[in-house]
Amino acid sequence: MGKLTPVNPHELKSLQQGDAVAWDAAFRWLWPTVFAVAQLKLQPFLPGEVEDVAIESLEQLVEKVREVKSVEELKPLAAGIAHNRAVSLLRERFAQKRGAGKTESLDAPVGEGQAKPEPVADDSPLDSLAAKELAARLQQSLAELKPPLGEILSDFFLHGLRYEEIAQKRKVAVGSVGVYLKRGLEAMRRIWGERD
Amino acid sequence: MNDENFFDLAMKVIARQCTDAERAELDALLARESQRNAEFAQLQAYVRVAKGALPLVDATQATAGELPTYAHGRLQTKVRQTLGRPKAADESQSAKERSAMWTWRWVLGLAAATAVVVLVALPIFRGASGPAIQLAMLDGVGVVRGSNTDAAALLKQTWKDRAVQSFTNADDLRAWETSASKETTVKVSYDPSTGEIHVLGRWSGRTLDKTFLVERDLATTLKLVRDYVAEQTRH
Repeated sequence: MGKLTPVNPHELKSLQQGDAVAWDAAFRWLWPTVFAVAQLKLQPFLPGEVEDVAIESLEQLVEKVREVKSVEELKPLAAGIAHNRAVSLLRERFAQKRGAGKTESLDAPVGEGQAKPEPVADDSPLDSLAAKELAARLQQSLAELKPPLGEILSDFFLHGLRYEEIAQKRKVAVGSVGVYLKRGLEAMRRIWGERD
Repeated sequence: MNDENFFDLAMKVIARQCTDAERAELDALLARESQRNAEFAQLQAYVRVAKGALPLVDATQATAGELPTYAHGRLQTKVRQTLGRPKAADESQSAKERSAMWTWRWVLGLAAATAVVVLVALPIFRGASGPAIQLAMLDGVGVVRGSNTDAAALLKQTWKDRAVQSFTNADDLRAWETSASKETTVKVSYDPSTGEIHVLGRWSGRTLDKTFLVERDLATTLKLVRDYVAEQTRH
């Protein structure tokens, strides 16, 4: 899976001291993450808010940077913040709609052949996690789902590729796709499954 | 059927990639070997967990897309307001140590040498009338040109017709602010996009670093900036 630390580890101190040049680099590096996470949640319902939520997430990250202990934590923390801000915004807007007695749906228009997005009120278990907890699990996932494990999981579960297609795309034996899937599923359950 | 084959068959069924024959094969197996039912249910639960979290894990690793230009100023303002600026040049431990060392030498009787320094330095300091003020402003996209012309005129007027450097992007302005300059230089920069005037400089070993928000109007804020600089650079 992707690189976690294009920002130089020595730069964490610079970020914590408010160095403008270091922050410029960090903002550029983190932008695709916060934007993609905000988009993941908001695109079907509030696409116009994606960019604002992404910027606000980076602002919130600035507030939290002094609690960060290593550069590796930055990207997952930014993602966790963006996710939770997007979820809060959706809840707020839905509550407003309900409060105003309006009945129109906040669901995005559904095109032909597209699956209808899941209603936002149907919270995912991830939505109840605090940004820090979410960040910790994301960081662990990125660390454990090393190539090609993460990619194979996404190919199969998110993109619906078959064993043969995955084997060809990832240049692995067809017989080992199942092994990767099993290993990846176990890692995901360990990291994201219910905790007592 | 061994565990590996069972897993692969179960995955195909869960992902709805199975043929009718494979579906029937699994159904027959679950009917025949009841302990496999629990395994199958467990796999379905694992897949639910994975499908819930994978999109977020994927999005975290996104690399495409560029930070919008207009967000730079806003984010850097947040950095300054939350974390302040890094202590200028961090005058570093070594500077402090050097200073302490000279103090001790003074105490230990280098009065004669110091006297020479004082004698040489005194006329220089007497001759110095104040810091060198340098002015700059952001003349970027999205700012009304007329208003920028007015702002440049106000800046010049406040500091006796000194030249105002103009930058078209915030990065260049920041680079100008932080570029090395003499010990007695004070830089005043105005960013209309964030409505901030920033003062950065040094005078008599003191660091000037303050941001003023243009709350009412630019002229009033510039007067506050001028008073601050005068106060900080008073002999």
